[in-house]
Parts: sequence; C-alpha cells; structure tokens
Amino acid sequence: MNSTIYKRKFPLIIFLVPAFLFMAVFLYYPFIMNIINSISNISDLGAPANGMNQPWYQNYIRMFEDPLMATAVKNTLILMGATIVFQVGTALLLALLVDRIRKGSQFFRTVYFFPIVISATALGLLFNLVFLYNGGMLNQLRAAFGAAQYIDWKGEAHFMFTMLAPVMWQYVGFYFVIIVTGLNNISTEVYEAAELDGACCLKRVRYITLPLLRNVLCTCLVLAVTGALKVFDLPWVMMGAGIPMDKSWLTGTYMYNQTFLRHDVDYSSAIAIVIVVLGVVISKIANTVFKEKDY
Amino acid sequence: MKKAISLLLAALMCVLFLSGCQGATITPENPQETQPAEPQKPADNEPEKGPVEIMVVTSYGGDDGNRANYEAAFRAYEAASGNIVKDASATSNEEWKARVMTDFQTGSEPDVLFYFNGVDSNALIEGGKVVSIDEIRAEYPEYASNMKDGMLGASPVDGKNYSVPVNGYWEGLYVNLKVLKDCGVAVPGPDYTWEQFLADCETIKSKGYTPIACSLQEVPHYWFEFCIYNHGSAANHGQLPETSSDEVGQKWAAGLNDIKTLYEKGYFPVNTLTATDPETFQLMADNQAAFAIDGSWKIGWFQANAADINDFTVVFVPGMGDRAATDIIGGLSMGYYITRKAWDDPVKREACVEFVMAMTTDEVVSTFGATAVTALKNGTTPPAETDALINAALAMTKGATGVVGAVQDSLNPNARGEMFSQIKNIVTGAVTAEEVIDSVLAIK
Amino acid sequence: MKFENFDSRSKWKISRIMAYSVLAVWAFTTVYPFFWVIINSFRVRGEIRSDSFSIPWPWTDSFTLDNYTTAFERSDIFNAYANSLVISACVTLTVVILAGFAAYGMVRYRFKAQKLLYSVVIASMMFPVFSTIIPVFRMEFAWGIANTGKVPLSLLSVILPQIAGNLSFSIIVLMGFIRSLPVELEESAFLDGCSIFKIYFKIVLPVAKPSFATIAIFTFLWSYNDLFTQMFFLRYRDEHTVTMLLNEISSQAGVNYGLMAAAVVLVVVPVLIVYVCLQKNIIKGMTAGAIKG
Repeated sequence: MNSTIYKRKFPLIIFLVPAFLFMAVFLYYPFIMNIINSISNISDLGAPANGMNQPWYQNYIRMFEDPLMATAVKNTLILMGATIVFQVGTALLLALLVDRIRKGSQFFRTVYFFPIVISATALGLLFNLVFLYNGGMLNQLRAAFGAAQYIDWKGEAHFMFTMLAPVMWQYVGFYFVIIVTGLNNISTEVYEAAELDGACCLKRVRYITLPLLRNVLCTCLVLAVTGALKVFDLPWVMMGAGIPMDKSWLTGTYMYNQTFLRHDVDYSSAIAIVIVVLGVVISKIANTVFKEKDY
Repeated sequence: MKKAISLLLAALMCVLFLSGCQGATITPENPQETQPAEPQKPADNEPEKGPVEIMVVTSYGGDDGNRANYEAAFRAYEAASGNIVKDASATSNEEWKARVMTDFQTGSEPDVLFYFNGVDSNALIEGGKVVSIDEIRAEYPEYASNMKDGMLGASPVDGKNYSVPVNGYWEGLYVNLKVLKDCGVAVPGPDYTWEQFLADCETIKSKGYTPIACSLQEVPHYWFEFCIYNHGSAANHGQLPETSSDEVGQKWAAGLNDIKTLYEKGYFPVNTLTATDPETFQLMADNQAAFAIDGSWKIGWFQANAADINDFTVVFVPGMGDRAATDIIGGLSMGYYITRKAWDDPVKREACVEFVMAMTTDEVVSTFGATAVTALKNGTTPPAETDALINAALAMTKGATGVVGAVQDSLNPNARGEMFSQIKNIVTGAVTAEEVIDSVLAIK
Repeated sequence: MKFENFDSRSKWKISRIMAYSVLAVWAFTTVYPFFWVIINSFRVRGEIRSDSFSIPWPWTDSFTLDNYTTAFERSDIFNAYANSLVISACVTLTVVILAGFAAYGMVRYRFKAQKLLYSVVIASMMFPVFSTIIPVFRMEFAWGIANTGKVPLSLLSVILPQIAGNLSFSIIVLMGFIRSLPVELEESAFLDGCSIFKIYFKIVLPVAKPSFATIAIFTFLWSYNDLFTQMFFLRYRDEHTVTMLLNEISSQAGVNYGLMAAAVVLVVVPVLIVYVCLQKNIIKGMTAGAIKG
C-alpha cells in the first residue's frame, strides 16, 4: 500500500486513537495490573497484595514444575492444530461449495450459523446427553448394534475426541461465515475472466480463489491460534475439572479453575500472561510460515 | 447513502465524546481514596421521614430452594416498615463469592449481606468491614435475642459473633428403599456400623446394583468428611492436622484410605472418576444405586426427581470407633451481616437492624427448610406440609447425639480444592494419602 | 456455460450433486440440535432423558406448553429483552465504527509503530476476561458507573468493557478483508478530489459492507451471550438480561430439561432475527461490491 494518497498521516490519528484508547483503558490497564498481580502475593480474590512474591518470579517457576499446566498447554496445542485442520479446513470446503451453488445457498449460510447461536450451557447439555455413559445417545446406538459393553466416552481412551468434537463442530460456522464473506469480496469479474480462459473447478480454486483468499485465511489462522488458547465454556461444561484424571485441562479452563475455584489469584495471573505470550509467539510464527508460502 | 453517513458521523461524535470523557476521568487510579468520605454525608440531623432504601445481597437468588421464602419475608418487611429493599441476591458459587469480596474491596458493598461465617468471611472481619453483634446490641439490645449466642457461628478470626444465621444444614445418608428391598438389605438404623455397611455394599453389588452413588472426581466432599469423622469423634473432628504424621494427620490418612478401599472394592459407580455429580446422582432416581451422602439442600432434588418420594429416606451415616452413627455433620454456616458502611450511615442503621431482625424471627426461620439444627432458643416449628423424606430428616436431626461443622470448611479454598482434586489420585494409588495431606497443608 | 461441451457438463452435474450432499450432511448436523432443543421445549417434564429424540406431537400426552408459561411467569422477560438489546446494539454499533476506522488506518497507512500496534491488537485478543474483570470493576466504580443501582449506568458499565473486548477481534477480521480490496478504487476517487474520510465512507465502507455485517453479527452475538461480564456488573432484578434469565431458569430447573430448552429457545430467537437481517445485508453488499468492482 504505497499509494500516494496515504502519505499524509494526519487522518491516521482519528482512525486509530478511539479504538486504541478503548483497548488501553479496558484491556491494557487491567492487564498491567494482572502482570503486577502475577509477581505479588495475594491471599484471596479481590484482596490487596501483601507485597511481592519471594522471589518475584516464583509463580513462573511453579508453572514449569506444574504437571497440570504442562497438560493444559499440550492439550491446547492439540486443540490449536485440530482447529486449523478441521475447523478452518471444513469451513473452507463448505464455503467453496456454497459459493458455487445457486439454489439454497442462503439456506446453508443460515443453518451453518446455528451452532454458534446456541449458548454453551445448552450445547453442553446436549452433548452430555449424546456422550452420557448410562443411556447416552451413542451408547444406546452401540447397544442397538449389538455391542455388549458401554463405552465411557469421557474415559482415558476417548476423552480427547469427546472434548474436541463439539468444539470443532460448534465453530466451523464461525470460520465459514468469515470465509464466505471473503469470497463475496472477490468480484465476479475475476471469475468470469477465468471462465473465459477455461479455468474450471479445482484449477479455479487453486489458482484464483485461494490466492485471493489468502488474507482472509491468514486472519482465520490468527483467530484459530488465539481462539484455541481461550476456549473455555464448552469444555468446562462437559469436562469440568480435567475429566478424566486431570488429563483434559486446557489453558482456558485451568486458568479459570485457579482464579475462581482455587482463589489463587497471583498464580492464575501468571498463567494469563503465559497464555498471551504463547498466543503472540505462535501467531507470529504461523503468520511468517503462511506468508512465505507462495501460490 | 447520505443519511447513512450522517448517522454514522453522529454516532462517531458520540463515541469520540464518550472516549474523550474517559480520557479525562481515568486519573483516579486508586479508587480507595474517593470512597470513605461519601456515604457518611447524608443528613445527620433528620434521620427519620421517608422510606429508606437498603441494598441487600444474599445467596437466596437463582436456584436456591428458599428463594420464595426469602422473597416473601422481605416483602413482608417492606410492607411493615415502609422501607425499600434493593435485592441483589444470586446463587451461591465461587463467582458469587468473588463478586462479594470485590465489592468490599472496592467499597461498593451492600448494606446487609447474607454470607458464610467460616474462613470465607475472614477478610471481612480482618478488614473491619462488618459490625459485630456486641456492638449492635449496645444500641439495640433485642438484636438476635431469639438465638442461642453459642450457635450464631463465631468468626474464626477473633471468636466474636458477627452474623445472625437462619436455617441450619445437616449431612446424611440418602437411601433408595426400593434397591435395598430388592437386595434384602435392612434400612440402616441409628446403631449401624461401618462393618455392616461394607457387608451390605457387597450384597448390593452382587445383585448388580451400584452400592454408592458418588462422583469421586467432582464431589468426594461428603465421603471425605464422614470417613475422617469415623476415625475421630464429635469432640475432635474440627481439628486440622499440622502434618500427615501427627495424630490428626493420621486420622485423615486413615479416612482417605477408607475411601480408597470403597473404590477398590468397586462400590462406587464404574465411571466414578469420569462422571459428573448429576450423572451419578441420577442413579439414585433411576433405582440403580442404593446410598448417597449429601446435605439438607438435596431434599428438593429428590422431591423433583423421584418417581415416588416414599422410595427414599435419609438416615445416619454408618459410624465407627468413637463416632456413633448418630453424631452428624451440621451447623449454621451462613448468616446476616450488617456492614460497617451501613452502620455508620445514620439513615440506614435502624432500617438494617430492623431488616435483619425481621428476617430472623422464629416464624420466618421456621419456613426455611426442614431441620432441627437451629440457633433458635425455642427451636423450629415443623412445616405444615411434609412428606416422607422431610419427616425422616426431622427425625434424624432430632435424634442426633452430636453436631459438628464440616472440617473441610476450615481449609482455605485453594487447599480445599487441592484436597478434593487429589482424591481421584489417592484411590487409584498414584499418590498416597500422606503425600496429599502434606501438600495440601503446605498451601498458604 | 455455453462454452462447455456436453462431457464436462455431465461432470459438472455429478460434482454439483456431490457438493449438495456434502452441504446437506453438514446442514443436518447443525439443524438437528436446534430442532432437538425446540421439540424438547414442548415435552412434558421427566421424559427428556428417557425419550428425547421423538417428536412430542401436539395431540399426544408428551406435548405441553407449560415450559413456556413457567418461563414467562418466573421472570420479567420483556424488560430483560430490552436490556439485552440495548447493551448488544450499543456495543455492536460502536465496535463496527471504531474497528472499521482502526482496521482501515492499520491496513492503508505505513507508519513506524505499525507492527507493534498489530501485536498489541493480537495480544489483547487473548487477555482472559477472568483476569481483567476485577480491575475494570474497580475503575468503573471509581468513575461512579458500576454498581450504582441505576439501570442506565449499570448497562453502560457492561457496554464499555464489552466494546473493548470485541474490538481486537473485529479489527483483525476487518484488516483481513480490507487488505483484499483493490487500492486502485481509492486512488481514482482521490484523483476525483475526495478527502480520505469521504473515500472511507463512499468507497471502502460500501464495498466492504458484507465484512462489516459479519463482524456486526459476531459482536452482537458475543455481547448478547457474554454471561460472565453481565453477571459481574448487573446485580439487581431490573438490570437483568435475557442470558442471565436463561442461566437463572436453567439453574433453578435443575434437571428440568424441558424448561431449560424453552429458555434456550427464548434466548436464541432474537439473535436469529438479527442474523437473518444482517445476512440480507451481506448479500446486498455482495451485489453492490460486484457492480463497483
């Protein structure tokens, strides 16, 4: 964007200041408090600090030694990978398909959005009934096909699937809407020109749509990375405190647990900071890798 | 298009204006400075005239079984006094506690608070945020005079009374009579022992039922409490250990190992380590499990979910050693506090005192739940409408030979959380009970 | 189509059938849960766990309207709708305006702190609300807008942090969209003598309308469903929102899944209306963009 029209910098102030002011006051100020909290000694929620921790980085050392934190980070990275592959992948496929049909595209656009609209409490209830050990939908189906034993879907063998599947399913619609919007922004003339050149189907996707979607896909990547670090509600409703045997913790649920159930404010503040650092680093890496790839 | 643009511009102006305002008002970085002065001001010389508005926070909101009773009681107070109750009650959970504590820290606390009287309230007492009953009685001698002072629930900080309780809680063994009948097992009586209990569990298990409905990964709290109780007595149950090797620590370790034994014998549901509490409790309603320990607040669950309430009863938890089965866990864990802020406000002081007195009369307290555990000098009058379960609960609490509070309430929230999250590791043998006790005691 | 021969045409047909079947399968998975919630909101109490997958036809014993009457009786639902809509509409409007500005500035201008500001936005997207809420509450109480017991102020105290919370996401998404727009359009407008602001409102905004509609719907949705912030700031009955009522009803209901399902339906309906409205806009924006592009 080296366009000459954007050489004069004055309007930039008006464009940027209001939004960043909001972020400074409501996000960065509290977050700086959070950084201070992470090195302070705080006895309870909302209580003032009784001086600094000895040594001040105590919570960060503790985090490295905390096996549950390691589990949480590991699971979150898995979730992140799954999000990129399955959520963004499925959403891209569906968006491309919807983009090429005429009849019913409106219908699909509307219904794919449904899962995001229903609150996590309701979805958690629904999926709990699906995965229930005693008379859940899946176990009933298996019994109908002659399986002798129930499967404990939240047990150690299957918990990852049980936790990931609903999250994957719920947010496909989110990336779908973003990608479809990106597709809408591609002008139809480009396609018409391509059609005249005889480019069709897969070729068209490979050489025209994907490159033009690159910015939007890049956005999705960043959202997937940051989203995975924050995922909280559905896993919390379904897997609670790390079911089974502390194996299903995510950074989001672990931080919540430390804040509101354990009242360990300074430790959870430290976790919050690690979440942010991880997110920034990973999305930076993802961005570089993705940008280098040439279409 | 023009219209849209002008609209947008107008909105933009508003936002800029708004953010401008914030820019100007960010300055008070430490809010505490501005607080204390404000509330005292209003009208020193004319405290009367006109309705007083008092802000009240209780845990009788949301899904609390006593919500209707609470609302009826404060409406009656409003009608009688002409004052207005601004009610911000919610469901009691960890987030609610966090909000209450934050309010006190920022100076936006309510006038009257219904809250826990155990370690959860320590910050309030230490910070001088609430007024002691002695101080109130110096001016209003009748305050809480219908209660036994020894049972008000003294603060762990200084042993003084600050809050006025309403309904007491108890914990007991809920029993599915249908399952017991099918297994040919007798209903546990007041002299039921742990050995009998283990034998009965074996019988029940051999008949294909789940003996104990409990989710060890989520709510092992009640079994923890009673298994430890069983290695002590009503006199010493409230003590916390110093280390796992002292007398109390050994008691705790033995209790935890009892839970492990129950688990190893397969008396808990097969998925007790992965199921949620509602899931395992459903086994009771589905006539698939025989026993479950829970509190007085669970009666409502049975009333709502049991196909026939007469299939269920509640009895004493089996005893061992010095603890007779009739020694129960129970007490008064919450009460009404008057905050310092309201007390120092001459307009609100009297209204708050009247409000608490109106909410804790013998009549009002008697409407709150079926229990004989109470601080009332005259005791509670049993409710007019009863069912089998309520009668069983009343009979049980009347027959109690000892009542002590739950020892887990003396642990700080972090230590308590650690203890209960480790129980699954104890029963599977990943860690020993002693290791857990020491790591829990090491937490602040 | 007239350039294609018969063979590729039949191929086209097969691939189209496949496309429709894939789309239909996914559509089934998204519609069914919704359908499940709706049918169970009409089911009599206690039948959900034993038989949640059949349809409670109005002429059978399983059908009831009780769940809805109970939901209406227990709460002042219209007041709650009003509160929810005021909050979400204010948040959405402000976010769309501010995020649009910021994204446009970030994409089109080159300046020193650009990379830093981008990281600032990304980082802020990950600040867990659980760790920022208490300082925000303190700050707003000091300003005299939080926990005052006055409805408009309390709503404002929720609106402000929600705006901030949704800004970063919206800026990131809009940046991706605006970057894809051809800069030539803006240049030619500039040559015609338009100021930068005119270019933004006359060229960028209309072309990127679908993108704005997209972030609007997400912002609306998240503000509407953000139970945690609402619970923290809205304490009194007359300040409650629909989402808070759902939470209250569902925790009161215990295992009364029918009542819970009815509450879910009542909460979801307004969001669907907003979505359908904005969706029309997305389509309109598409055609407008096509003509101009």
